[in-house]
Amino acid sequence: MHHFVFIYLSPYCRWHAVASWTWDAQDETCGICRMAFDGCCPECKLPGDDCPLIWGACNHAFHLHCILKWVNSQTPQAHCPMCRREWQYKG
Amino acid sequence: MTMVTQQASSNYYNLGILDSITDDSIEDILDSWTGFCNTTESLLKDKGDLSVGSEFISHVHILCENRLSSLVQDHFFKALEETFEKNGRSKFWHHFDDFRDVSISELNESHKDWVQQVLCKALEDICLEKQYQEKCLLILVHALQSYKEGISKGKYNSDAERVALFSRYRLMVSSVLMTTLPRHFPEILRFYFKERLEELSDMISGNSDDNDEFQAKDNMDIDERTKLSPEVSEMDIGETYNGRKISENNKLVKNIGKVVRDLRSLGFMSMAEDAYASAIFLLLKTKVNDLAGDDYRTSVLWSIKEWIWAVPLQFLYALLAYLGDSVSYDSPSSGLKSPLASHPTSYYPGIDIPSEGLVRWQLRLEYFAYETLQDLRIAKLFEIIVDYPDSSPAIDDLKKCLQYSGQHSKLVDSFISSLRYRLLTAGASTNDILHQYVSTIKALRIIDPTGVFLEAVGEPIRDYLKGRKDTMKCIVTMLTDGPGGNPNGPGNTGDSLLEELNRDEENQEDDVCDDDFNSDDRHAWMNAERWEPDPVEADPLKGSRNRRKFDILGMIVGVIGSKEQLVNEYRVMLAEKLLNKSDYDIDSEIRTLELLKIHFGESSMQKCEIMLNDLINSKRINTNIKASISDVSQKGSDLGETGVSLDLLDATIISSNFWPPVQDESINIPETVDQLLSDYAKRFYEIKTPRKLLWKKNLGTVKLELQFGDRAAQFTVTPVHAAIIMNFQDQTRWISKDLAAAIGVPVDVLNRRINFWISKGIIAESVGAESDNHMFDLVDAMVDSSRNGVNNASCEDLAADEEGETSVASLEEQLLQEMTVYEKYIMGMLTNFGSMSLDRIHNTLKMFCSADPVYDKSLQQLQSFLSGLLSEEKLELRDGMYYLKREYSYLSLRSYHCPHLKFNKVVQSTYLIGNIDETSGYGNDSFVLTHYLCLMP
Repeated sequence: MHHFVFIYLSPYCRWHAVASWTWDAQDETCGICRMAFDGCCPECKLPGDDCPLIWGACNHAFHLHCILKWVNSQTPQAHCPMCRREWQYKG
Repeated sequence: MTMVTQQASSNYYNLGILDSITDDSIEDILDSWTGFCNTTESLLKDKGDLSVGSEFISHVHILCENRLSSLVQDHFFKALEETFEKNGRSKFWHHFDDFRDVSISELNESHKDWVQQVLCKALEDICLEKQYQEKCLLILVHALQSYKEGISKGKYNSDAERVALFSRYRLMVSSVLMTTLPRHFPEILRFYFKERLEELSDMISGNSDDNDEFQAKDNMDIDERTKLSPEVSEMDIGETYNGRKISENNKLVKNIGKVVRDLRSLGFMSMAEDAYASAIFLLLKTKVNDLAGDDYRTSVLWSIKEWIWAVPLQFLYALLAYLGDSVSYDSPSSGLKSPLASHPTSYYPGIDIPSEGLVRWQLRLEYFAYETLQDLRIAKLFEIIVDYPDSSPAIDDLKKCLQYSGQHSKLVDSFISSLRYRLLTAGASTNDILHQYVSTIKALRIIDPTGVFLEAVGEPIRDYLKGRKDTMKCIVTMLTDGPGGNPNGPGNTGDSLLEELNRDEENQEDDVCDDDFNSDDRHAWMNAERWEPDPVEADPLKGSRNRRKFDILGMIVGVIGSKEQLVNEYRVMLAEKLLNKSDYDIDSEIRTLELLKIHFGESSMQKCEIMLNDLINSKRINTNIKASISDVSQKGSDLGETGVSLDLLDATIISSNFWPPVQDESINIPETVDQLLSDYAKRFYEIKTPRKLLWKKNLGTVKLELQFGDRAAQFTVTPVHAAIIMNFQDQTRWISKDLAAAIGVPVDVLNRRINFWISKGIIAESVGAESDNHMFDLVDAMVDSSRNGVNNASCEDLAADEEGETSVASLEEQLLQEMTVYEKYIMGMLTNFGSMSLDRIHNTLKMFCSADPVYDKSLQQLQSFLSGLLSEEKLELRDGMYYLKREYSYLSLRSYHCPHLKFNKVVQSTYLIGNIDETSGYGNDSFVLTHYLCLMP
């Protein structure tokens, strides 16, 4: 009686899997632009590395581009749009 | 005597003249009158005796002196007529009596010579008679002339009188013949000409095979022709090829010419012309039919024209020349000139100066030929368009014909009806219809550059295609994959439609290029010069030609409705394709996307671009992860107990927000692979913090190799299939329920999926102890190895395709998902209003669902959703109205007793259905009311 062998190491064998990526954030959407984190901010065309997230010291996450715009418009001191605490980038 | 005086008075109204007549002169007159009558008798009647001529003349002189010349003429003509009736007319018709009983359809080859002989003989006889009578008439003319010359001392101009008398004679002859014309005579003529012409055409076509033999010209008729028409001799007909041919046939032409001339002299001018014209047209029609045939790969227009010049025109030229008609037309009037007639030298080989008559004939013949060919081609237009690129010569022909005849509407009507009959039927595949549609667009673009008729023809096709479910899919496939070529192959055998469109566009751009460099003014001026009014058939409501540009893609998108729908469909197909890729090779997809971007704009293809970008990124990340592994393994930390390395695993990582919804079912994949996946995800997280991976374990492709003793079989399958077969590694017999649990899918899914392995002969199915639990056994050895393709190393089957399982939710499924939200609204509405039409439901939804979720579906989408509800038996449809089903309609019935609820409309119809039991326990209104109130949304 022959038993068949599933050969993992045969050069032919490959497992091509499919996955989706997601930002490891608590929220679904950016509090500034209201777009999904897994999407991208209104300025960007490509999601992911081209439109990254950034966390503040208060643990709120935003699209980097969104919060930069916000911070630059707030003088002298920017606050987190969500909790009104002083905005500091998470180290 | 009284007669004489009356005559004289009626001529001159001078009654005084009667007084001058003496008895002697009356005597003279009576004598001469008797003599005149007798000599006339002997001149005309019997055998004809010209010797009495001098006596006749003297009598005429005497009568003329007494001013009785008109009486003389009248009497003479009366005598002529009587003689002609007797000698000419009755004999002439008698010749044709034999044909009285032969109908024209029965005239055939055997009658050919007979008809010719009889006709020629009859014409000869009657012409002889007529010539003799003309001679007699001439004697009278001489008598009258000589008398008048005597009076006016030779100054009298005699021509007018002679012409008047001869025309009176001709009128007499033709009226005598016409009034007694037998009905079959025109048919005999037609038959005669038909046969003669066929003979002539046979001779010419026969001669053309070996025309070297005809170098020796036969000019024997030229002299005669010169006599008849001095102008003809100036035409150099003998020099050219065609002229030679016709002069060779001159004898035949002469015969025909003689018949025509005789007929003309008898007053049958128009009848003769009719007869030979119809014979020529008949011949031309046969010729066109012969030449055109069913071969669309060659242009026949030119050869038809050539034939017209070679045969009928040459014949007519010779005939007209023989009859001397060309003399009467001095110069062809410019108004008659068609574009064809404007280059006489090139259009009349062998005939340098065409007479107006000939130009007329040519125009008539060519028009007829165009029309015949056009009718032939229009009748076969469907076939022609099926063969489109090959049949373009036929289309060019048709275009020229239509330019000439302007009967485009005929084309439209006939083509639409053949479309309906042959293409727009359930039996035709959507792909075929689409290809025919594209070919139609291309072909009609050639025929009618303004696009007016294309609009009319395209409409039924578009309407029909809109009703087909797979239209959109076929369109996208056609656009992106080409007509059956392998889209992934490096050398694209069959270009996709998109490639073709792009090529066309580039060509057009090249054309316009020159203009762009010029100043705007000049450009505008050139455009203005090129402007032509729309054809009269254009529908003024449909805008000007500018909007009717030939945009094949636009017309195809028009079938779908909007470009967004097409793009969405393409996205779904692209997703399917990308998810099933086991490598990261997307070159052809990138190219297609670039082409689509050109046509649809960058922004609408944004999501597709992100999808492709995901593939590119996946490849990079995959490489990075592998690199980090090899670093680790060099450190010798872990290779896993299974001995399986991450090298085995590739991943496509998608940005799920931009992909169409993917089918996400959880399955349990084998431990070892699962371990690999979490390792991979861990590495990803290390590299791409703070991004993490979520596996879609049911998606992807698995290439695996099964080894049976010394044989190996390779397969490309979905993860589910791989999971199934891998479970047999440790345990060769499974009960379906257990196996389903092990894999983590429902039993019915398992049963469906395992069929793949059963069909490959690797797993055997047997019914277990419990009927719903199947037993699956691993087949010990693959018995029939060749059948199963075990030895075939590249046995690749994408099982997903076979079973119609897709990785991506189709548009319909997506729609269904989105529509489910509205189900509650619809049910509520129907409870309130009882019954509603589709339109009303649509409008009400639009009105009330303006907040989240916004109702943005089309009427068709709503309809298909409602038909889903119908099949779920939640609703029913009668006379175009939707109703709630079952207990809901029961409520409506009860409401009959509480009219304020306004259910009346529904009552009757539900009652008819009879699904309500009046005596059932629900029979009180308060119950009904509470239910009704519960159902209020």
